[in-house]
Amino acid sequence: MSTSLLQLSEVTIRFGGLTAVSSVTADVREGELAGLIGPNGAGKTTLFNLITGVYQPTEGRIEFAGAGTAGVKPFHLTERGIARTFQNIRLFPSLSVSDNVRVAFHRHLEHRAWESWLRSRRFHAEEAELQDRTRELLGIFNLERVQDAPAKSLSYGDQRRLEIVRALATGPRLLLLDEPAAGMNPSEKDELMRLIRFVRDRFRLAVLLVEHDMKVVMGICERIHVLEYGRKIAEGSPAEIRADPKVIAAYLGD
Amino acid sequence: MAFPIAQRGLLAALILAGVASAVSGSIDPYFLDVVMGVGVSVVLASSLNLINGFTGQFSLGHAGFMALGAYTSAMLSTVVAPHLGWSPALLQWVFFPFSLLVGGLLAAAAGLAVGAPSLRLKGDYLAIVTLGFGEIIRVILQNVDAVGGARGLTGVPTHTNLFWTFGSAALTVYTVWALLNSTHGRGFLAVADDEVAAEAMGLDTTRYKITAFGIGSFFAGIAGGLYAHLKGYLNPGGFSFDKSIEIVVMVILGGMGRHAGVVFAAILLTLLPEGLRELGSRSVPNPFGGAAWSLEWIKDMRMILYSLLLILLMLMRPQGLFHRGERRRQRT
Amino acid sequence: MTEFLQQLLNGVLLGAIYALIALGYTMVYGVLRFINFAHSDVFMLGAFVAWYSVEKLGLPTQSIGGGLMALLLSMSVCAVLGVVIEKLAYKPLRQRSTLTVLITAIGVSLLIQNVAQNSRLGFGPNPKAFPALFPSQQLHFGTLTVSTHQLVVLAVALSLLGLLYWIVHHTRIGTAMRALSFNATAASLVGINNDRIISFTFGLGSALAGAGGVLYAMNYPSIDPLMGTLPGLKAFVAAVLGGIGNLPGAALGGLLIGLVETFVSGTRLSTFRDAIAFGILIAILLFRPAGLLGKLKVEKV
Repeated sequence: MSTSLLQLSEVTIRFGGLTAVSSVTADVREGELAGLIGPNGAGKTTLFNLITGVYQPTEGRIEFAGAGTAGVKPFHLTERGIARTFQNIRLFPSLSVSDNVRVAFHRHLEHRAWESWLRSRRFHAEEAELQDRTRELLGIFNLERVQDAPAKSLSYGDQRRLEIVRALATGPRLLLLDEPAAGMNPSEKDELMRLIRFVRDRFRLAVLLVEHDMKVVMGICERIHVLEYGRKIAEGSPAEIRADPKVIAAYLGD
Repeated sequence: MAFPIAQRGLLAALILAGVASAVSGSIDPYFLDVVMGVGVSVVLASSLNLINGFTGQFSLGHAGFMALGAYTSAMLSTVVAPHLGWSPALLQWVFFPFSLLVGGLLAAAAGLAVGAPSLRLKGDYLAIVTLGFGEIIRVILQNVDAVGGARGLTGVPTHTNLFWTFGSAALTVYTVWALLNSTHGRGFLAVADDEVAAEAMGLDTTRYKITAFGIGSFFAGIAGGLYAHLKGYLNPGGFSFDKSIEIVVMVILGGMGRHAGVVFAAILLTLLPEGLRELGSRSVPNPFGGAAWSLEWIKDMRMILYSLLLILLMLMRPQGLFHRGERRRQRT
Repeated sequence: MTEFLQQLLNGVLLGAIYALIALGYTMVYGVLRFINFAHSDVFMLGAFVAWYSVEKLGLPTQSIGGGLMALLLSMSVCAVLGVVIEKLAYKPLRQRSTLTVLITAIGVSLLIQNVAQNSRLGFGPNPKAFPALFPSQQLHFGTLTVSTHQLVVLAVALSLLGLLYWIVHHTRIGTAMRALSFNATAASLVGINNDRIISFTFGLGSALAGAGGVLYAMNYPSIDPLMGTLPGLKAFVAAVLGGIGNLPGAALGGLLIGLVETFVSGTRLSTFRDAIAFGILIAILLFRPAGLLGKLKVEKV
């Protein structure tokens, strides 16, 4: 039954002798704000890498928007509508803030690369339009003021936001956020929670976030999936998860 | 909005080249030779900059592509052209650019052939494969008698003039510039900065890298053709690893990506050996009276000084003369 | 059949020499994740030091004692050189990008080659005849002809390989080397002095390269300052073939390359035999980049 945007069925991945993810079945619905939690080493980032095509599952199946993702290259999956941010911020350090976003917009270009050599009229028109769209997008997130600064010169919080903006530029239907609250103080985290809700509402997409901060997760997620040692041990609303003895045991150890 | 400027600039450069070429008869031939050599170096350095500097690949075999272009166009000029019965002017102004293009395209094809399968390789490994490729080309050329073998290819008509060299240099610089200053082109830089992130943002990193190799080697081939028709003869030994390193040094000195810097470095490093040679044939007056001190040792020491420069540069200022920012070393 | 056995012997000998050089490449890669381009020139210097010790220092030729002295001298000088190069040119760049160090290594290589070629400072560019270090005789085993030099090469190579094995697996410093190649941070955390181990590795690898140079020159007694390039490159291919970072792999790779090259040079393709090594390199990197005995590392995203 797939009204799900993203469907994982019995997904397993093994690296040599290590099984990082084992028989995980989960789904994310259109427009849903979902969370993925679990103790360190549970396989959360690995799952992200599986969804985005960086890794291929050893067993099981992943479907996005009704089509399988097996053997599809990461950049194709981005074209299909999956975007992500990274646990350790991976901006393009030598590019400016606006260029970071601009490259992510490239899919929307009609003109071919060689037309940039010719400098055709269409090239200039599209480049101008892209510049406007970039500025607009940056403006929404209050990053327009630094648009020409090198990305690496931004403050930590701004960099995290830029990563999200960049991901949004690819026009995703599903946005994967890998520990977006890492390294933030409480007021920044509140801001982040507002931001994520805003992004979901304004851009009409689904969000799946991996996060360690329970306040953030419980605060904004509608549904939460819990991993431990590569297996899914629970799924439900924040209230259900909070009360689940398996989850409590996993986090407190036994 | 630099569009009219860039293309006007290119046009102006070409006109200037044409004018310079027309009056070149009255310029000292040695000087002319050096200037044309500079033009060739600019094409080589710019094209390698696209691969190494902007796309972050590491090619140590650029001389191999240059050799392919050189031999192809030289063979066309020595084997095919004599049968056409064209006038010298036609040969220099129509056939020659055609042969350059063919050489460039062959080199580009080789670039794609080498680039495509090697793209999975990282840093060191890609360097070694490209090095190996360059050496294979050289060994093959050295052993195939049809192109002259170890003795080389002689009798290549000297069609290269100021217009062709300067024009090619301007064209190469323009191409790289125009490419990079576009959204598509920014992709090259993104790929160089962080391949994983670039891929996640929907960029076909493989395609970018292959394209860089293709375009870069195309221009290396053009440079080769220009070189062949400048020197009038070809020796496979001149396209060895040493030559590839010379070009790599230009890119590094210029700042690995800073295009203006790379062009400047190419000019500097081509003129430097000439300058040293000049210096070496002079002598410094002996302050203590007696015979003047010969500076001949400078000629001998040229490569030694060169390698010392390389080491010192890496130790003290690896970002080159112009800053672009360095990628930190990845520890596994 | 004799022909075949003769070629086999030659191949094994050449392979043993390549193995010695390849081990140096692989050891350095193992501890530093870096390809030491200057390694092939240390190999060259090994040959020249031996030559120098006979021609200029008066070491006797055709004698076992003299031969061993020359060998030891070469190995020592090369070891010291390796350590010095590491300290001056590579150590300051440990935090820098791979590219920077690689270029520096190329610079060092060019420097050594050009100084060696210089008539004033070095040996001059012309090839020199390498003296017969050990007593040379032709021995006949049935229809097979083996020279004593070849036996010496075999004996020395095997001894050095055995010595290396013993060092790596049965001494503390060898264990430290292996620890360092697995995880440099962890190694320093358990009290290993990384810098000293790295220096030792360089010294050891360079000593082997020096020995390789002497042995090579014994078999092909014409030496010149650029003699290191091709064997060096082939030994590098051998290291990659066996799995870079893997010691038995380097030995195996060396043997294979030596055998392939020897057998190919007996056929029509012999002029292309140098290109064959590069061809093998490209083939491995494309189809099995981890090498025969190596393990592919998965990059953590």
